[in-house]
Amino acid sequence: MPPGAKKQREPAPAGPDQAERELCALMEGYLDGRLEAFDGLYAALSGRLRGYLLSQCRDPALADDLLQDTFLQMHRSRRTYEPGRPVTPWIFAIARHVFLMKRRSTGRRLRFEERLAAEAVSGDVPRDDVKVLAERDEMRRALDQVPADQREALLLHHVQGWSFAEIAARLGIRVNAAKTRAFRGMKKMKGHLK
Amino acid sequence: MSAPRDLRDTIARDLRPVKPLRSPTMRALALLPLAAAIVFAVPALRFFRSDMQTLGVVRGWGFSYAQAVAGTVIVALALRESIPGRALSRAVLGWTIAAGLTLPALLLMLTASTFDLGPAPGRALSEGIGCFRASAEGAVPALVVAALLVARAFPLRPGVAGALYGLGCGLIADAGLRLYCEYTAPPHVAFAHGGAILGAMFAGVLMAKISAPRR
Repeated sequence: MPPGAKKQREPAPAGPDQAERELCALMEGYLDGRLEAFDGLYAALSGRLRGYLLSQCRDPALADDLLQDTFLQMHRSRRTYEPGRPVTPWIFAIARHVFLMKRRSTGRRLRFEERLAAEAVSGDVPRDDVKVLAERDEMRRALDQVPADQREALLLHHVQGWSFAEIAARLGIRVNAAKTRAFRGMKKMKGHLK
Repeated sequence: MSAPRDLRDTIARDLRPVKPLRSPTMRALALLPLAAAIVFAVPALRFFRSDMQTLGVVRGWGFSYAQAVAGTVIVALALRESIPGRALSRAVLGWTIAAGLTLPALLLMLTASTFDLGPAPGRALSEGIGCFRASAEGAVPALVVAALLVARAFPLRPGVAGALYGLGCGLIADAGLRLYCEYTAPPHVAFAHGGAILGAMFAGVLMAKISAPRR
């Protein structure tokens, strides 16, 4: 460096702090009501959030639904974000909450439906029909092998006769997701029955 | 990665500028005038303890307002707990609850000269109920305001937030009670005064669980 020359300040490399600052700026834009800011937040966070949710639920279809729920929840509670604070811990706490709520509600619903199914079976199966009982037992075992969310959609559609739109509304998912879950569940159950 | 169309449409339909909540400290400060009023009102609506002159301004009003400020700080922690990503650690929770429950006992030890002043024989229950009721009535307005402040945020652990603001409000009411009740006997202080603080804590848990948004 020649004597007397002033040292130029080099731009800071883009690191985690820089990324977090960008997220903060996007979040503040989102609070101001700018849709592009939401797009930016989605682009920046959806990959990491989906990875986190997938690690929790281990079901890609469910992780996609939970990701949407997380962004909807973020939208509803966006006023709780404090400008200037890191966005990442805030939104990951929301994602964790969304996952825990989903797990809790699914568990409750499944227990209720299994109880209903058990009551229905005990009420209408002729006790002397050993073959029917054996078939039902086999069916139940196969059903138990199906993942919980798929089993839920399958039972609601094929046993209780709900439409996919009704299932989607009840579970808070898209119609296509409801169809996919019931279809995959049926396929898995058939596989176990063979 | 871009947002799915249906999600984006839902957000776009509802998107408008929103004002973020103030910081937990600033929101808790809104409770401070009410806390001051409660400390004054609990004895003023009944009567002041007979030894107020002996107690002096610092050990009487000073200690009571210090306890009310401590209660407000605990409410501020509850407000912080109600913000996603700012949950309190177990250690902070444990120390806060321990400090909150110990503070009235500590102030009693600093102000009382003897610990045998209790209700007359046969009046322990009625006097105890009187103190419990005075403290509970004092805590109600603070509990309502704190519950509203917490419900405006997004408590992910409503039970924890409720326990904290219940404890804070219980301390605020107890700060007024100590200007009204001069008894120092441990059974009375533990069951009537301490019980009222624990009751406020329990009420806070219930209120927070009930008012927690089902999202």
